[in-house]
This record gives sequence, C-alpha cells and structure tokens, in this order.
Amino acid sequence: MDEELLELQRQLEFAQQVKSSIRLSERNVVELVQKLHELRIIDFDLLHTVSGKEYITPEQLRHEMAAEIKKLGRVSLIDLADFTGVDLYHVENQAQCIVSDDPGLTLIQGEIISDSYWDNVAEEINERLQECSQIALAELAAQLHVGSELLTSMLELRMGTMVKGRLEGGQLYTPVYVARVSSMVRGAARGITVPTNLSALWSSLQQLLQEMNGSGGVAVEGSFFQSLFNGLVKEGEILGSLRAGVHWTPTVFAIAQKESIDSFFSQNSFISYEVLLKLGIPQPLQYLQSRYPDGIPLVTIFVHPSMIEMLDTSAEDAIEHGSWINSLSILPASFGAQDASKILSLCPSVKLALKSNKALILGETYVFSNGFIKDVFDHMEKEMETFSLSGPSMGMVFEDLHSVKEVKAGHDSSRFTELNEPSNESGSNKQSIEKGSKRKKGKTTGNTKTSAAESGPDNQEYVPTKSKKNQRKGKDTSSLRVSDSKTGSKKESDKMKEDNFSIPEEWVMQKITKMVPDFEEQGVDDPEMILRPLADYLRPMLLNSWKERRRALFTENAERMKRVLDNLQKKLDESFLNMQLYVKALDLFEDDQSTSVILHKHLLRTTAASIVDMVLLNLDVHNKLKNGIEVEESQNSESISVTSGERIALAKSLPGSLSARALALVEALEGKRVEIFMTSLDEMAEDSGLLLKKLDKKLERTLLHSYRKDLTSQVSAESDPVSLLPKVVSLLYVQIHNRALQAPGRAISIAVSRLKDKLDDSAYNILMDYHTATVTLLALMSAATDDEQDCTADRILSKRELLESLMPSLKGLVLGTSQS
Amino acid sequence: MEGWDPNTKSALTQIPLLSIKAGPRDGAAWTQRLKEEYKALIAYTGMNKSNDNDWFRISAANSEGTRWTGKCWYVHNLLKYEFDLQFDIPVTYPLTAPEIELPQLDGKTHKMYRGGKICLTVHFKPLWAKNCPRFGIAHALCLGLAPWLAAEIPILVDSGMIKHKDDSASSSES
Repeated sequence: MDEELLELQRQLEFAQQVKSSIRLSERNVVELVQKLHELRIIDFDLLHTVSGKEYITPEQLRHEMAAEIKKLGRVSLIDLADFTGVDLYHVENQAQCIVSDDPGLTLIQGEIISDSYWDNVAEEINERLQECSQIALAELAAQLHVGSELLTSMLELRMGTMVKGRLEGGQLYTPVYVARVSSMVRGAARGITVPTNLSALWSSLQQLLQEMNGSGGVAVEGSFFQSLFNGLVKEGEILGSLRAGVHWTPTVFAIAQKESIDSFFSQNSFISYEVLLKLGIPQPLQYLQSRYPDGIPLVTIFVHPSMIEMLDTSAEDAIEHGSWINSLSILPASFGAQDASKILSLCPSVKLALKSNKALILGETYVFSNGFIKDVFDHMEKEMETFSLSGPSMGMVFEDLHSVKEVKAGHDSSRFTELNEPSNESGSNKQSIEKGSKRKKGKTTGNTKTSAAESGPDNQEYVPTKSKKNQRKGKDTSSLRVSDSKTGSKKESDKMKEDNFSIPEEWVMQKITKMVPDFEEQGVDDPEMILRPLADYLRPMLLNSWKERRRALFTENAERMKRVLDNLQKKLDESFLNMQLYVKALDLFEDDQSTSVILHKHLLRTTAASIVDMVLLNLDVHNKLKNGIEVEESQNSESISVTSGERIALAKSLPGSLSARALALVEALEGKRVEIFMTSLDEMAEDSGLLLKKLDKKLERTLLHSYRKDLTSQVSAESDPVSLLPKVVSLLYVQIHNRALQAPGRAISIAVSRLKDKLDDSAYNILMDYHTATVTLLALMSAATDDEQDCTADRILSKRELLESLMPSLKGLVLGTSQS
Repeated sequence: MEGWDPNTKSALTQIPLLSIKAGPRDGAAWTQRLKEEYKALIAYTGMNKSNDNDWFRISAANSEGTRWTGKCWYVHNLLKYEFDLQFDIPVTYPLTAPEIELPQLDGKTHKMYRGGKICLTVHFKPLWAKNCPRFGIAHALCLGLAPWLAAEIPILVDSGMIKHKDDSASSSES
C-alpha cells in the first residue's frame, strides 16, 4: 500500500465528511421572503426587478438612480428603468422623489437633467460660439434633443457668464459678431439719404452677410437688424425718424426736404403739391398747412398770401381801369386754371367787385371789369346794326360755315337742295361749330373774314332776300322732314327754331377778336379759352338786344306793310281799270286774227307787265317787312324796269302758294292772250289779299272820259310828228268807238284802215297821208345810218317838214271832232 | 448518451476519466488504477456536495481495494431512505462493470437480481463497454445506482414495500 493511495483514501474520507452546502430553489426563496413578510420580519416595501429574480429596496433603487444621474448628468427615465431593471412605474416614482429632494435636478419630458449638465452644455455652446461667432438655437436644440424654449431659458440664465454672447431672435451671437453687424447696420443707415423701407435694406445686408460668410453662413434675421437699428437710433448714432416701424426717413433727408421746400416757397411764394410729392412727402397739404399756417392751399398749389396781394392789386387795377386781366398770365406758369380761379375767389378786391357787380370772372381765370364788357357789348351791338341785324350776318356766317363744311365733309350736305342747306346747317349748327371750332377754327374765321371782305356791299342786297327765303323754306322742309322721319324728334326742330334766331358763337368770337386784338396775342395758343366763355356770356345779351330790336322793327314794319299794301291797292286799282279798258278795245279787232295777236301782245308787254312788276315788287317788299327785314324806303316801283328773269326770281321768292300764282302770272305775261293773264292776275290778287275792281258802265265812262281828255291834251301838246300819229289814232278810237285802244306801231295802219268807215273821206285821207308820210319818214330814218348822210338827211328833213305841215290838220281832225 | 436525464449527464461529464486499464490481479498497475479510482471518487463526491446532492458514503472494505462497502440514501417526500451498499471489483475489471448490491432491498423489487444486485438499464452496458478503461467506480455509481434509486425508491415507498426507519421504528414500537 503506497503512501499515495492511503492519502487518496483519506482524502475521499475527508471529502465525504465535508458538510455539503445547502441549496434553496427560487421557489423556496420566494416563499421564504413571503413568509418573512407575513411574519413582519421584513417590514418595508420590497421591489423586484423586471426579471423577477431580484428583490430591491426603494432606497437601493433611489441610490442607484442617483448614482447614475450623477454619473451622466442627464438620463432619461426609460434608460434608468433599463439600467436598474425595475419597472418604469417605480422608477418614475423614485425619480420624482429624487428631483424634489435635489434642487439641482429637473425632470423634463421624461428626462432628469442636472444643472451640471447644463453647465457643461453651456460651456460647449460657448466654445462653439466663439468658434463660429453665431449659432442658431434651433440647431443647438436639435443637437441636444431638447425644446428650443427650454434651451433658451437655460441659456438665458447663463448668458453673459458661461456663454459670452448675445441671444437674439433664436440666434446666438458673439459680441464681436454683434458689433460687426451693428457696424454694418450703422453704416447702411448712415449711408441712406432718402426715405427707405428698412426691410429692403435688411435684405440687402443679409445678402451681403451671406456673401461674406459663404453659403454656409447662417441667415441673419431682419429682426436682429431691426433691434440693432433701434438701439442705434436710441443712442443717437443715426438720425432720422421711423414711421410704422419700417419707414426710415433720415434726418438728412428731412432737412434737405425742408430746406428745399423752404427755399422754393420763400423764393416763389408758392409751391405745388406735386413738388412735395416728388420730394417724398405723402400728404403735402397737411404738411404745408402745419408748416406755414398763414399759407393758402389751392387745388394743386400752396401759396403765400403775398401772391394773393399781388394778384389782387393787378386785378383791382384792371377793374378800376375798365379793362380785363388773365390771372394766369400774372400767376406763375405752374398755376392751373382751377388754382387761378380759386385764388381769384380769394382776392378781396375781386370779391368786392363781384359782389358789387363791377367785375366778372369768365373762363375760370379771366377777370373782366364791367366797363370792359359793356364796351365790347356796345361795339357788338353796333356791329349787329351795321349788318342790318341777323339776316346778312347770319346768312354770311351760315354760308361760310357751309362752305367750310362742304370743303371738309362735302357730300352729305350736297344731297339736300340748295334751299335746305342753310337750315340744315343751322340745325346741326351747334355740333358743327363745336367740331369745327376745335380743329378748323383758324380756317373758319379766316374764311369768314375774307369772304366778308369780298362779298361786302354787293352781296348785301340779295343776300338778305335769299337767306330769308332760305330760312322760310328751310323751316318748312325741316318740319316736313321731322314729320317724315320722326327720328329728328321735336327737340331738334325746337332747337332749329331757336337757332334760326340765334347769333352763332363763332361770329361773336370773331367779332370780339376783331375788337380786342389783345385776346389774339393773349390766347394765341388757345383763343377758345377766353373767347368762348366771353362769347357765351355776351351771346344771350346780344340775342336779347337783337330780339328787342327785331320786335321794335316788327311794329314799325307793320305800319309800312299796311302802307305798301294800300299803295299797291291804289295803284293796282288804277292800272287794272285801265287794263280792263284797254282790253275792251281789243274786242274791235277780234275778227282780224293777226292784228288781234299783235294788239294782245302789245297790251301784255306794256300795261300788264307794269301791273305785274308793281304787284310783285310790292308784295316782295311786304314780305320782307313781314319777316322783319329792314327795307330802304322804297324806290318808286314804276321806275324799276324788271326783266322777265328777275320777275321769275321775285315770284319764286314769294312765300308758299303765292309763289306759284306769281309764277303763273309771269308765265301768262309771256303768253299771247290777255284773257289768260287776266284770270291769273285775278287768282294772284285773290291769294295776296288784294282787290281787283271790276269795270262798270259808269266807271268806264268816267275813265274813258278822262282818258280822252288826257289824250286830247297830249295830242294838242304833241310836237313830235311821229309820236303824234298813234295818239291821234287812239283818240279817234275813243271818239268813234268809245274804246281805249293801245296799239303798237305795226298795228297803226290796220287801226287807221278800220277807221275808214267811220270817218269822212277828207279826214281819212289826211290820216292816211300822214300815216304814209310817217311810215316813209321812219323808213328813211332807219335807213339813214348807212347811206350818204346829206341826201338822206335832206329827205328826212323834207319829210319831217311835210309831216309838220300836216300836223295841224291832223290835230284839227281830232281836236275838232272832240270839240264838236 | 440518450436516455439519461440531463442532471446525470452533466454530472457524468464532470467526473474525471481514468486512463489505466488494469484489474485487481495486475499488481502495481492495479494500484495505479486504484489511485485514479480514488481521485475520481473524490471529485465526484466534491461535486455532489457542492451541488447539495450528496447521496452516498463509500469506502474500500479490504486493503487490495477489491471490495467496497458504504451507504446510499434517497429523499422522497421530505423523508430520507437509507440503504446499505456493497460491491466487489470483478477480476475482469475494468472490462466488466462492478455489480452493485443493495442487500436490504433483496426480494422487495423486480428490478433486482438475486443477492440484491440491481438491474441496470439497457443503456449502461454498451456505454461502459465503449468507455472501457476511462470509466471507473464513480461512473458506475453515477450512471448505475443514482438513476436506479431515483426510479425505484418512490415506487417502493408508495407501494409500501419499504418504510421509513422512523415509521418502522414507531410501528415496531407501537
């Protein structure tokens, strides 16, 4: 048995003697602990871990948590729960205990953070800040996984101590950076000389910073600039005023603005609002009123009272001297018409004058003294008189206008008859004038002037008749047209009627320019400016005076019309009776066709023609008077010889149906039958309201008697052998047939031969001899011109002597019988 | 190694293996073998003690170490049942495993040969043969007796074949 074996035996023995260690199962242990609890041997709370294999006391848990917090500075409760292996619920409970016990800890959003942690963070931030010069809080917050508000509150506590910088608008800046940016702001603000919107400035600064920092640079917010700026303003480093927080007006600008306004206003004693607006003052009126309380605001201009004084004196002067003044010409050029009128209304002298009716403001800016207006008006009135009132002038103007218009527009008016045109013109007068006056004014006036000069006196005569006639016609046609078309409407016709009596503005204006040449010089650029209002003002006055005048003329004319008619009647009576007398004589030759024709014609040529002329002329005069046209006290109608053409014209000029009658009459005059003429004359007289006296026996006798007497005295007084014969023949006819014969030379021989039966032979022979002698004499005389003078003259002389020798016997023949 | 419960298996793997192949008749080699047997038993005992699984006492009954005696016990329903233990080292050892006897239980159970030798599981013999020189007495106890006790004692107690010594004492007393 060796040693070793024995040793091993002993060892086995020993090993078997060793007390075996006692092992308890978990279940046993849990039961044991429960038992202990039940037995109150363990009299405190026991927590167990999540795995359920450990028991832990709250103190131990708290201790562990505190140690962990102390180690890390910032621990989330979830991490703690993981770390301790205890349910989160207990961890939270304990965490609250810990935090409430220790003032240096805070429980935020499931995290316990100690002050020391914040200190560390602040130091870190400070380091980074010193490096970068600016950090966005948001960035920091994101990095630290905390709310930016929390971070801000934390940083605010440590600002200036641990973090050397400045917190502005969610951004951290170092003092150096702040100083730099504030220098930039100061520089920019000082550089500004005009009012600027600050946000625009900030954006440009931002851009500048961005460029300096490179793309990585943090955008600086406008509010940072703004706060820096406000600080600078408060410190007085930059001067100016801030409106609505963003509108910066530098003092320099304000001063310059004020100075420029001051200098302008003091130099010119006025300033236009526009200038102020250009200078950047948004409410010029308020600004000026507050600055110059004694100034006067006008519509577009602000003026010093001295301006009014100046205008006042000149206006006063003009008013006193019976002149006129254009306030615009006195006031500076920048004054508008509205301003001028307003300032005029402020002038004391003008006010006074206006009140006392001594002055008149026309066209907004012109001041006229009453004297001046009266002067012009008087001139105008006279002018109107010389133009024999409206007629010619109107006619002229119308024609001129018409011609102008025709040149201008041509065809539309040419479609109407000539008669229509003037009335048409007057109808559309207003428009055409307005239109024409704006563009073609110069031309129009020029035309009227020249044409007036051309068609001066000789036009004067016929123009009135024509224009009058035209107007008449025009009215008729226009009324017709109105009824036809209906589009014309009453208004137009009314207007037309009115226009028929009106004086066109153009004319008035033209006259004014003629009278007061100053206007031409004054208003070269726009004569319209003053002429039109003045003309407008004068026109009604002129119209009134013209109407009055016309009314007066009417009453005057009425008498004359009556006179003319009476005259006409008288003359007509006389000549018509004669005519009838002569017509009766024609009966004697009714059998002889050729002679009868000759006699008819002769009668028509002579007596009838004179009757027609008389009637027509007188009716014409009457007509004119009726229309208020002045007619010179009449030339005696007999003396005027009227050609057939003129007759027709006259006839046409008569109004309405009378014209047709007259035309018929004139036509009958050209005819061969006296009877036709008589009937047409009858009708004519009927229409014109004249009476034609019919011949009765008694009247015929007296007429014949006087005629005979007349002839007898003529015959006895007649010395010319040639003209004696027809008279003798007529007398013979009266004596024999009791008829008044009017026979032309060609009919004498027939008339003589007709007397053959009635006269005794000797008398007849004398008559025949005389007749033949007269015929030969007349033949000789007509032939005398071509042949040798001596011989023919001798023969004429001898014949004349023969006739003259026969004259007494012839005279005796007639006179004798008449006496017997 | 299927068929063994995990506790047995883990215990078995921790018992040091033997290396010398020698029987009782091999003289010095047997002594060497005996030394290894002792070491293995010491280790196994220590293991059991540390695991609070101490269940036998054993010692060599002769100086050659061919006969071993001791006691083994099993706890069932908080009662400790203790039995005598004895076995001889066969001449063909270690090719043949020792036949462990529990003489007190002879005739009380079917799982036993005459003379109180326990019947081992079918797995034991092949496993022993496979690990021929490496398994020793400690392995035989661990693989043979421990499972047998765990399987048979509860049945024997429940069927009333064996009684606790206190009960039997009290019953005998009474």
